[in-house]
Amino acid sequence: MRRWGIAAALACVAVPAQGWAADKVPPLPPYVAAYQPTNVDERGAWMMADEEERHLRDAADVIRDPALNAYVRGVLCRTVGEDRCNAVRLYILRVPAFNATMSANGTMTIWSGALLRLRSEAELGAVLGHEFGHFELRHTLSGFRNRRSGTDLMAWASILIANSSALQMSTIGGFYAFDRAQETSADMIGVRYLATSRYPSAAAADVWERIMGEADATAIGRHRKANQRYAAGFFATHPTSLARATYLRDAAQAIADGGSAEGNAYRAALAPWLPTFLADQVKLNDFGGSEFVLAQLAADGWTTPLLFARGELYRERGNPRDLVAAAGFYQQAIDRGDAPAEAYRGLGLALLRGQQAGPAGIALREYLRRKPDAADAPLITTLVAS
Amino acid sequence: MSVRRFVLSVAAAALLVAPAVAGNKLILPGARIAVAKSTLTVQPASEWNRLGARPGRNAETWTLDGDALNDLTFYGGIESGKTLFRDTDRKNQPLPQVSATMLVTDIPALVENSYRIALGTASMSIGTVEPVAFAGGKGVRFTYAFTRQGETLRRRGEGRGAMIGGRLYLITYEAPALHYYDRSLAAARQVADSARL
Repeated sequence: MRRWGIAAALACVAVPAQGWAADKVPPLPPYVAAYQPTNVDERGAWMMADEEERHLRDAADVIRDPALNAYVRGVLCRTVGEDRCNAVRLYILRVPAFNATMSANGTMTIWSGALLRLRSEAELGAVLGHEFGHFELRHTLSGFRNRRSGTDLMAWASILIANSSALQMSTIGGFYAFDRAQETSADMIGVRYLATSRYPSAAAADVWERIMGEADATAIGRHRKANQRYAAGFFATHPTSLARATYLRDAAQAIADGGSAEGNAYRAALAPWLPTFLADQVKLNDFGGSEFVLAQLAADGWTTPLLFARGELYRERGNPRDLVAAAGFYQQAIDRGDAPAEAYRGLGLALLRGQQAGPAGIALREYLRRKPDAADAPLITTLVAS
Repeated sequence: MSVRRFVLSVAAAALLVAPAVAGNKLILPGARIAVAKSTLTVQPASEWNRLGARPGRNAETWTLDGDALNDLTFYGGIESGKTLFRDTDRKNQPLPQVSATMLVTDIPALVENSYRIALGTASMSIGTVEPVAFAGGKGVRFTYAFTRQGETLRRRGEGRGAMIGGRLYLITYEAPALHYYDRSLAAARQVADSARL
């Protein structure tokens, strides 16, 4: 069963920018609540999506925190409207990658990696609106039909034409171009949701510009060439991030609506989960990408959770210079006064690995004093004693 | 088809299939044996099965009922710059590497991050961490738990390891929390306790 996702890293064809005059934003299509599948293809697609949802509902990766779920759903409803959002079951998955998905039957997922990277309610609304666009435009069904008619054609072609490999290639290519067209149309209806909501529609383009920056930072951090694709890939299912940023920016400028992006409200709602999501990101062994994400989140200044995560990231890489830098970040977090006990642990271990046993002992003893029942207290105690 | 041609084709098919994997092997109790192509030795008190498929160059897995149900893996002296086990996607999701300067506290972190990346799950977490003598060195014993992506079955694990001479020696035991973990924990601990260099 296919689901549509944002799939940030994928790339491809240049899509002509669609400009709108400011005075005529196309109205949203009329919405039918409690839509039921109407024919055999669609009923099949819904049946499979229902089965998947039953598995998803019980999955261990689902974040069940009622406050976070209510908040994310609230943003979806404020973006697409109350009547539309009632059709959606929204699942927040703890997966540290940027993605969101939509199934035929109205199952929406958003991954914790996306929540970490987004910076405002408007950006979250842009992503959720895009996914809802796939649902409203019934993309699963049309995608299935396109795929089926393509495979029928290929089955006949292989009988009728002796050497049909060229035809197969062009038909396969047709699937992916069709997927890209769907992504683009979902992007454009997403902008229209934003235009009719209280959020500014420029938020959608901001998301894609940062995704490009992160992909480049990951590549450079792994000593590879920054491999941002700017043009068509034959097998790509999604438009390039550059193409998306460009046409979404054009559309938003044409609409030229205002509104508050609600960045502060977003940060406040995510605050309880921020240390968890940051830790998940730091443990991915992606120094360049994680450093980029941290720098983006610290655009308005380095907060205690961000400094602590940066210390963990540098201590993890563990070059002698990284250990010095890590100790500095932990110390900055501690100096702010609201650092967790683990900041003393990180400081002590960074100093210890950097062969500064004296100051390391002081920091580790402070960790044990602040968290005597820590799960690793027995080991840290022996480290201090030796 | 003549008998001769049939015999030849069967022989050819056998040649194609047979030498692909080294095969699994029964480990008899009592004897002290070297594991994971290293100088690490253990002395099991009960029967185990050694799997032919190795997780990495210096790693080896034993099991009782299949590696999905109980998995005792030895990592024998992983060098600085090497990964714990084989990379599944080295280009896009490289695993963290062992470093000769790692502290004993970095061993559970290395296991946690390697599992998170290889299994694609953020559910991997380390539980208690305590000092232990391991293979004649100052080591660490830690517990962990994780759920594989798309599964609801929780798995528990216990590892013990040490950095000795700049190399990582590690033994992990993991099994589904449901029934299997407790059932073979004693046998696995006995093997890990017997580890020597």
